[in-house]
Amino acid sequence: MVNRVEMENRIIPYKMLYEAVASTQGLVDGILPEYGIPSLKFGLGHIKSVMEDFIDKAGEGLPIIGHHFSFPTEYLYCFDCVPVCIEGTSYFLAALLPNGSEPYYDLITHWGHPFHTCTSQKGTMGMTLDDLFKFDAIITPTAPCDNTYASYPFFKYHKEIPLIMPDLPFLKAEKSYRYHAEEIKLGLERIGKIIGQEPDYNKLKQILELENQVTNLQLEIFELKKATPCPVENMFNVMAAAAQIYLAGRKEKLEFYKTMLEIAKNRYKKKEHHAGEEKIRSIWPYMIVFFDLAMGEWLDRHLGMSILFDIFNYNFADPINIKSDLETMFYGMAKKAMEAPMTKQSAEFYYPFIETCVQLAKDFSADCFIFTSHIGCKQFGSVPQILREALRDEVGIPMLLVDLDVGDARFASEKIIRDKIKMFAQTLM
Amino acid sequence: MSLENDPFLNISNSIINPYIEDWQKSNRKVVGFYCTYIPEELLHAAELLPFRIRATGTKDTDLGDIYMVRFTCSFVRATLDLALRGGYDFLDGFLVCNSCDHSRRMFELFDLKVFNREGFSKKVSQFYLALPHVITDEGFEWYKKEVEELKEELEKAYRIKEIKNEKLMESIKIFNENRKLLRSIHELRIQEKPKLTGSEFLQINIANSSIQKDIANQELNRIINVLKNRKPIDVSNKKRILLVGSIVDNIDFTQLIENSGAFIASDFLCFGTRNFNDDVQLVNYDDPLGNITKRLYYRLSCPRMMDDHLRRLDFLKEEINRAKVDGVLLQRINNCDLHGCDNMLFTHELKELDIPVLNIDREFYQSDTTRLQTRIEAFIEMI
Repeated sequence: MVNRVEMENRIIPYKMLYEAVASTQGLVDGILPEYGIPSLKFGLGHIKSVMEDFIDKAGEGLPIIGHHFSFPTEYLYCFDCVPVCIEGTSYFLAALLPNGSEPYYDLITHWGHPFHTCTSQKGTMGMTLDDLFKFDAIITPTAPCDNTYASYPFFKYHKEIPLIMPDLPFLKAEKSYRYHAEEIKLGLERIGKIIGQEPDYNKLKQILELENQVTNLQLEIFELKKATPCPVENMFNVMAAAAQIYLAGRKEKLEFYKTMLEIAKNRYKKKEHHAGEEKIRSIWPYMIVFFDLAMGEWLDRHLGMSILFDIFNYNFADPINIKSDLETMFYGMAKKAMEAPMTKQSAEFYYPFIETCVQLAKDFSADCFIFTSHIGCKQFGSVPQILREALRDEVGIPMLLVDLDVGDARFASEKIIRDKIKMFAQTLM
Repeated sequence: MSLENDPFLNISNSIINPYIEDWQKSNRKVVGFYCTYIPEELLHAAELLPFRIRATGTKDTDLGDIYMVRFTCSFVRATLDLALRGGYDFLDGFLVCNSCDHSRRMFELFDLKVFNREGFSKKVSQFYLALPHVITDEGFEWYKKEVEELKEELEKAYRIKEIKNEKLMESIKIFNENRKLLRSIHELRIQEKPKLTGSEFLQINIANSSIQKDIANQELNRIINVLKNRKPIDVSNKKRILLVGSIVDNIDFTQLIENSGAFIASDFLCFGTRNFNDDVQLVNYDDPLGNITKRLYYRLSCPRMMDDHLRRLDFLKEEINRAKVDGVLLQRINNCDLHGCDNMLFTHELKELDIPVLNIDREFYQSDTTRLQTRIEAFIEMI
């Protein structure tokens, strides 16, 4: 007989996350006015119900599959399993709890993990070192960064967790998509063998169809952001990033985006800004600050600065063709995986990234860029100055560069980051 | 007989050298590259001189810092800095592969800021190789195609009608001979009474990567004769160390170690064993390029290959026994995630085998000599 508690305890950090989501949602419901920060309100509600479901399924004894955020969560739904995003767990905990992931960063750093690696992985590594997670298998593409190649072997070689690594080639071309498609297929088959399940591709098709619908809604919202004032609040960026992982392949994700689209359309019609007045339109070409969940709202209300989007909110892949054969479907899946945020920019030269940023600045009437130079992301370490020069020369707008760890306030604190942005904003105005 | 001020070893102290100048005087081309995962034999068969990029002697990265944030590798930043100051203007070609996040972005930065800078008008051809991060049959097929495409690109860029199989076979022989000679010198180092120091061995390897291999082979043969006739070095009062990790491209760091009571009896470095341990096997005589690729792909890996840690550990264990090592010095250049994490695993695995381990981080240039020396001396005393 399955010992439910024992089974649930294979994902203790998810139970922590559930508690954090539930209590944050309680606060949001209790304190904020009815229509205050809708993305937070609705997003948390959906994530809470999905987390509940994950814990329930873990309790039933379903296998726990860890995955890199660059391996789309929904692909794992060809199995009956509980997907756990390695990077999402560290950062969602960092976002919702004060010092949420820090003890686990410290645990793995003390074990010898270098200080300069990515905290998104460090957190879950620390949790796994402490046996808070018990994975049946982990899957990661060989992307998007050195941290991935460097950190994931810990799970395989120290914790002896089966690690599946579909290779994701550098440079996008037809041959790359075909190669990665085969790698994804082989990867899923390997997981199937480990957990004793056959991949159910019919089920996967339905999930992918739902994701296609989500993409259409995302694109509509994205288009509306061209309007001045931006009809979407800054908090949406954080919640969309969380939805991408936790709500993937679920009807809750569709609901979330439908609601947000409706709200954005309403505001657009009324030329309404979430926080009153939009003074500065900023683009964050890289990440937002995950440990400071309130920063977006602070920017909206105190500086009138819109974050039009961050890296998780301007990269959209083509819909996946699920009507044809399996080969076509896997080709679409590979393309989507290679167009995913961060992987897209890492798996090619950075010229297209610079061009995209310049074009986005023009199309969305941006006043400035804010580049968060995250200590873990060496693959972007040679980009900021080139981008700054391109924005200056081709659009005539400035870029603020902030050195930080997006998941650890001890590197550059909330105060330091906010002060920098505030001074930058004052100069702009 | 002494190797002090040996002209061959002295090549390691500078970037440009008389051999390159002579080579270019007869209108022949030099192609720079960062990583040992590139097919040098192919370049050689195309009558190009492969030159391994380094930043030997660079003490500052002011210019490099403009384009690379401070979280990046100081070695790569130093090479960029040197290039921005004109130190790599002699290159006629530039070949980059995705060995690590720091060096792979040099493709773009050299393109935009070095080869396109004001006052620099030479046309430098750029090439890119996409190397898988796992070792699988599918990955090999991918890489083989990449190398075949590179061959075509080289032929086009340098107007070579065809890089023929005979030329490739000839290059394989020269490079296999080169690796064999390096292994012979390595054997003279790991023995109980070594004939050369770890620093001298590093110099030999660096010099070897900076000149054409047929000349290098002559020089290595000469060095072997010198070493055979040389008195053994007395290392009886020193601890025998295996040096592992990030690139070391000058002897400042190895001398610091060897002046702290250690003898570097062996290494696991890319200017060392990782580069010469495996030969090209002539399995299929009709496909020399395939054989070259096979060696490159399946050889003793560096931590950029994410599924090959155990093979690297096995090599360390073998080398620890062979070289009768007293302790292992793991080191990484700051911000090198690849070596940092591999070293983390090694630390625990070697400690379980009761092998003394020191795991340190450093900057490429010797910026904190005293701290390093204190740690290394303390480690040596503890062994």
